[in-house]
Amino acid sequence: MAKFFKILFKILLIAGAIYAALFAVFYFDLDGKLLFRKVEPLLAKHYDKMERRDPLSVMYEIGK
Amino acid sequence: MKKLDLKKLKNMDVKKLARDFWYGKPHGERRLGELYEDKTGLYKHREWRGVKDTMYYFNNIWLYNYVMMVGDIMKFGGPVLFAKGLWRYRWLGQTYLPVLHWFDRGLEGLRGEALRASAWHYRAMVCVTINQFMNMFKADGNLRGGEHNDAWHHSIAHKETVWGGVFYPWMDKYTHIPLEMIPYFVTCHVNNHTVLNYIDAVQSIGLPGDPCPMCQAEAGLFVLDDMPDYAPFMVTSNEACDGSVASTAVQDWFMNVPLFAMPQPMQFDDPLVQEHCANEIRELWKFIEEQTGAPFNWELLKEYLEKQNELQRFEWEKWDVAANTSYYPINGVAQALYRIYQTQYGEHYIWHDTDKRVRKIMEKCVEQRINSFPLTRHRVIAWSCAPLYYSNWCTWAYNCWGLNTIINMDSLMFDMTIRTDNLDDTVMDMARYHEWAPMRRMAVGGMHHIFELWENMEKFHCDMVMMYDQLQCKGMQGVVGLFEDEFRARNIHAIWMPHALPDKRTVSRAEIRRIINDYMTTVMQEEPLDPSLLDFDDSESW
Amino acid sequence: MRDLKHLIFFENLLQEANNDLVKQARSEGKRAIGYTCYFMPEVLLDLPGCFSVRLRAPRSSSPEMATYYMSNRTCHYGRSLMERALEGGFNFLDAQMATETCTVTCRFQEHLQRMDIIQNPDFFCEFTDVPFKKTENSYEHFRKQLQVHVLDKLAERFGIDTSDAALISAIEEHNEVCRLISEIGEYRKLDNPPITGYEFHVIQLVSLTCPKYLILPYLRETAEELKTREPEPKFPFRVRVALAGAENDDPNFTQLIESCGAMVVADRYCYGSLPGREEITVAEGQSPLDAVARHYLKTSMCPRFMPKEDMRGRKKYLADIVKEYKADGLIVASNKFCEYWSYERMMDALILPRDFGIPTCSIEKEYVNSASGQLRTRFQAFIESVEIKKIQGGDKT
Repeated sequence: MAKFFKILFKILLIAGAIYAALFAVFYFDLDGKLLFRKVEPLLAKHYDKMERRDPLSVMYEIGK
Repeated sequence: MKKLDLKKLKNMDVKKLARDFWYGKPHGERRLGELYEDKTGLYKHREWRGVKDTMYYFNNIWLYNYVMMVGDIMKFGGPVLFAKGLWRYRWLGQTYLPVLHWFDRGLEGLRGEALRASAWHYRAMVCVTINQFMNMFKADGNLRGGEHNDAWHHSIAHKETVWGGVFYPWMDKYTHIPLEMIPYFVTCHVNNHTVLNYIDAVQSIGLPGDPCPMCQAEAGLFVLDDMPDYAPFMVTSNEACDGSVASTAVQDWFMNVPLFAMPQPMQFDDPLVQEHCANEIRELWKFIEEQTGAPFNWELLKEYLEKQNELQRFEWEKWDVAANTSYYPINGVAQALYRIYQTQYGEHYIWHDTDKRVRKIMEKCVEQRINSFPLTRHRVIAWSCAPLYYSNWCTWAYNCWGLNTIINMDSLMFDMTIRTDNLDDTVMDMARYHEWAPMRRMAVGGMHHIFELWENMEKFHCDMVMMYDQLQCKGMQGVVGLFEDEFRARNIHAIWMPHALPDKRTVSRAEIRRIINDYMTTVMQEEPLDPSLLDFDDSESW
Repeated sequence: MRDLKHLIFFENLLQEANNDLVKQARSEGKRAIGYTCYFMPEVLLDLPGCFSVRLRAPRSSSPEMATYYMSNRTCHYGRSLMERALEGGFNFLDAQMATETCTVTCRFQEHLQRMDIIQNPDFFCEFTDVPFKKTENSYEHFRKQLQVHVLDKLAERFGIDTSDAALISAIEEHNEVCRLISEIGEYRKLDNPPITGYEFHVIQLVSLTCPKYLILPYLRETAEELKTREPEPKFPFRVRVALAGAENDDPNFTQLIESCGAMVVADRYCYGSLPGREEITVAEGQSPLDAVARHYLKTSMCPRFMPKEDMRGRKKYLADIVKEYKADGLIVASNKFCEYWSYERMMDALILPRDFGIPTCSIEKEYVNSASGQLRTRFQAFIESVEIKKIQGGDKT
């Protein structure tokens, strides 16, 4: 029984820590900061470099 | 290290501190502008709204929506498909991730029931957005090396200004997906960086800078090859304006699939035009039957229209509360975006879920006389088309000046239910419905429509007008003088808000705020409720 | 070449909307009916008892008052018309038959409806809804619109005879104008035409802005004169170009191009004759109004038409004109702030050189072309490049 409570306590503790960590992420806008400073520039670079089809190569078929 | 200022500590009002901690600072004492980092608009820390509302925001908005976003992706196609789409399309990668910041901007300063009701509107929009882009990816030939799968053959592409309701008769087997609603319209609100690429792209092939930037961006998506290839044919329309007609030619060129044009008459008050318009809808249905081989399903159309009518009836209840009481719990931006999204896209289960929740909240507010915007100084009606990159200006305006946006022009479009007793009546109503689309109901068919502003001011008991001045909208630019004359003659306080729809480079958000600030201080001679919001730099923000 | 006998007279007629022939017709008791767009069939406004005037605002400068009403971010043409109306320049109009076929001209006409601008007690402004397609549904719709908003209104307000017989007579008169203009325009196909693009532009414009019955004798005489008019011994231009684009009622613009060395041999723009001067055919058993409604939708090449075949067909039409009129190149000009032609011009400039091998010059202009120096430089450069291509092409063959 004591072991069960110990495990439960540990789970609660871990859950509590995760919850607290998430709250910190939320409160200090760490998600926003990460996305703005790291993720978006990385993605933007990727999209800028991406090879794209030249739309002007699409034939303008008349009478189609 | 800073020295501890004992004098300050001694003078501290502990009771007030505790009260601020528990309930959050009252409006008037808040300094929301101090929360921003310079330029980026990121928060040094998110707002402390008191224990209850902060925890509500954290649990029921922030955490809940992150979880639901993942859940929606799993539900509508899975993470692999999502990842492929994210890697392929700029509009997704750059805008999906910062969605919670879009919530933050729209919900700043809100407390209690207003926070809850407005956030549910946002949640619904996110869900439909995910549903739509995942449907695009399921069918997208670009993600499959050009191969067209079964989903591609069962998708219908249409211009975002074609009301989704015309496709209801095929909703059991086919999915209708607006071309630009997600890649263009939604992205501008969430992250205004993306759209600039599309505007630049279409100008790079020779389009001048003066046509409507919305249509420019919609054409630019194709020029930049950032549009999924998800359907075997497309349906287009002349809504909302000349630019939509003209940019269709570019879309037709680059999509190069069978196209059906379903234009709506301009002079829609004329009873003679209704039959013509109804016939266009009938011809569209014939076209879809030809393209899909699937027959028109009247029962399905009825079923969906009846569901949609329910949404409209609730909207009228909302307007009634907004117009006649101080207990309307939805803020200006949530009201505007949800309404235009829901009516333009058409039926979706999430709208009903949301309306149920919002009804509960609204009824509670009315029964318990909860005023969610107690520091309202002016009841504002927003007229014409809004800046997409700053749709949350009304949140700012309430926090800074107590300007409470009660209703806006686009919300008042599609103001009708549709009869379902027989097909002829239904088609006639659908024709009328389509004619009353956003940026059309008031913008074409005679100037008297745009001047319905006065009736709506009265109906919603507004004492101030936020007059959107979309610099590249020819229809609205063509009527500015008469508005000026009318404002003067009627002695109405109106603030002209210049903007360029999706393009923040033309008129920045800071400029918009400056114009409102100037009017409030010089003409209205009022003091801000939150001076920290008067002037801040968010030039690089999403 | 010897000057055309009536050229100066024609040029003078274009100096004012309320020109001498308009004044004469009004003094004879005829009603002046204004319109701006090809979609308002002029033939219906030329019924016995009234006459059509396609509105222009010649000799405009900066439209200050109109800019107050319509801002400086709308098409200069619409604003210039508004300015002219505010100045009193359109007070001769008894009615304006309006169409909501492009936003800014629509707004201009709505101002006429809403404000007391036209100082004429009889004046009214009536809108007709114009479809975006060329299907049976569109024809039917357009016919009904023309009946109710044009014919019935003219009959109610001014007692105009709108019977089939009256319509047939108006169509006959209209067809004669079209025949004459087409006959005159045909000369432009010759290797060394006896008429310049500028002269043709002037003639086409007077046919739009003057009462038909009064301008017809002059057109007849001019057509006759051209039969024997000797062209210059040697083709006096370096190249031949077709001019396409948005609203253009300024012959000086054509003159500017020609002064740079390119003869304008084809006029595919609003107020031009391609299309616009095709005869209306009334089939046996067909009502004349039905023939008119179909004719105007069928012949129009406006970028307003949305079906795929119409959008794409417009490029082919343009390419065919270039070929038919033996043009060496194409100039596509759109007015600033014109949504339709901004896109159309961009696409023409991309597709016509690529898919049809037609050298194309794409320019943006104003209604009042004060920046003629810049335009001249653009045209000169274009003409030079076309000329070089022509020489190189000639070497090869």
